[in-house]
Amino acid sequence: MELTKNITLGVYLPGETIIHRLDPRTKIIAATILIVMLLLSRSYIAYAAVAFFIAMIIVISAIPMGYALRGLKPMLPVLLLMWIFQLFLFRDSDTLVLFNWWIFEATEAGLHMGNLIILRVLFLFTVTTLLTLTTSVVSLTDGLENLLNPLRKVGVPSQELVMTLVIALRFVMILAEELEKIIKAQMARGVAFDQGNFIQKTKKIFPVFLPLFVSAFKRAEELIIAMESRSYTGGKGRTKMKTLHMSRVDLTAAITILIFTGLMIYINIATEPFI
Amino acid sequence: MPIEVINLSHSYKIGTPFEHKVLHNISLSIKDSQFVGIIGPTRSGKTTLAQHFNALHIPKQGKILIDNEDTADKKTDLVKLRHRVGYVFQNPDYQLFAPTVGEDIAFGPSHQKLPRTEIDKLVQESMHQVGLDFDTFRNRDIFALSGGQKRRAAIAGVLACRPKVLVLDDITAGLDPRGREEILNVIKDLHQNQKITILFISNSMDEVALLAERIIVIDQGMIKMDDLTRNVFARTEELRSIGLELPEATVALENLRSAGFHLPNGILSVDEAIEAIAAALREKGAHN
Repeated sequence: MELTKNITLGVYLPGETIIHRLDPRTKIIAATILIVMLLLSRSYIAYAAVAFFIAMIIVISAIPMGYALRGLKPMLPVLLLMWIFQLFLFRDSDTLVLFNWWIFEATEAGLHMGNLIILRVLFLFTVTTLLTLTTSVVSLTDGLENLLNPLRKVGVPSQELVMTLVIALRFVMILAEELEKIIKAQMARGVAFDQGNFIQKTKKIFPVFLPLFVSAFKRAEELIIAMESRSYTGGKGRTKMKTLHMSRVDLTAAITILIFTGLMIYINIATEPFI
Repeated sequence: MPIEVINLSHSYKIGTPFEHKVLHNISLSIKDSQFVGIIGPTRSGKTTLAQHFNALHIPKQGKILIDNEDTADKKTDLVKLRHRVGYVFQNPDYQLFAPTVGEDIAFGPSHQKLPRTEIDKLVQESMHQVGLDFDTFRNRDIFALSGGQKRRAAIAGVLACRPKVLVLDDITAGLDPRGREEILNVIKDLHQNQKITILFISNSMDEVALLAERIIVIDQGMIKMDDLTRNVFARTEELRSIGLELPEATVALENLRSAGFHLPNGILSVDEAIEAIAAALREKGAHN
């Protein structure tokens, strides 16, 4: 029983590589560009290019490949379900019908749409995970706040938003640990989570959520009190212990990303979109 | 229902960069109706070891035999085994999830597919054992309970499964003195009158000294001592080097001894200490 083992989103894996040393702003912008490229791409070659680029980042940042991709494992059943839905339900007027099954019709357009969605989710998740794996919470906060600061002028509470996001990221792990404890406590009293068919298994999950929600609210309340007792009043007037500095590595990274962006645009124009 | 642990090792997060070993080659055996205290600094591996006893952790290296049944064996019925080895968690909030006390205590037995009347009887009995009045508390909202009542409800929920062994994971932490004493009395009663084997994990040396007949000291995932309570607390220097304290009475007598009083070694409880000091004073009086 180890749920936290498969959670990689929001985990920071300390290291000394170039990727780790990059300014958090560079990494955040790079990740954003990558995500935009992902959402605009509509050809398999483009996705192959993205995959190659992500693989390079993983190798350079010295994160074990298996660990970087581990977080995807729990998502696979959901993705498979999405793929099946797309395959049978996506309709396009002039598309090839692959096969019929009962009242359902699998089309070529549906197949591609399913693939597209799966590729997008997988890569989106991997890019975000890589960002948190190589960036500590503190620098992630600093970087995001710094980038969103101009928005304060138009009244966006950027620092509060970032604080919320960071707390949410931290809570992923905390809640997973709590969930593990609750499941163990119920196993100890005779619930066999791994026995029974799909419906029986699903039913057993419900009693787990009540204590989880209770403890989540409790923790949130404690956190609020802790923050208030240390005079947290939002972002206004807060100063930073560490100031951010761009270095030559960041310039290199920026150029790399720009070249990659150009390449992606070229690929997308030159190749036939599959959907 | 004897427990046998043979060369047990355990690691967390295997296959990730965060892999770490928390138990190293643990071997021990626990006989029926023993009251065993398990002590050690935080993160020493106490809870991980304890969760092996009711198969919440299945050994990958080494073996655990509960009543001669191997927990790693696919044929072992783990649900039944977990009913025989009850586990009370440190934080009752993880354990209590039904809306009312009665329903929560009935959770364990209802998974044994017992008839309704039998379940009711079990609930009533276990509530009685922990000193919660059946009529008052049966329909009480879980969230309306005090800390001590919550612990008692949690223990009752485990007792309702009729365990032969009870693993108690630091269940007095954070309780006020009165709640603590009530809980300890419940446990003492279970051990003496029901002959239930108790594995008592605690950070309070006073509690362990008072209750346990045998103590296992764990540090950095290894067994450092495994002996009768008196013998363990006689090894003061070793315990201190691990970062553990001694029972208050033992410390008090140690201080008096170093101040020149003639007092015996191996005093564990306040009552014993009072007697020893009184005897020493009488002796002194006789001399003068």
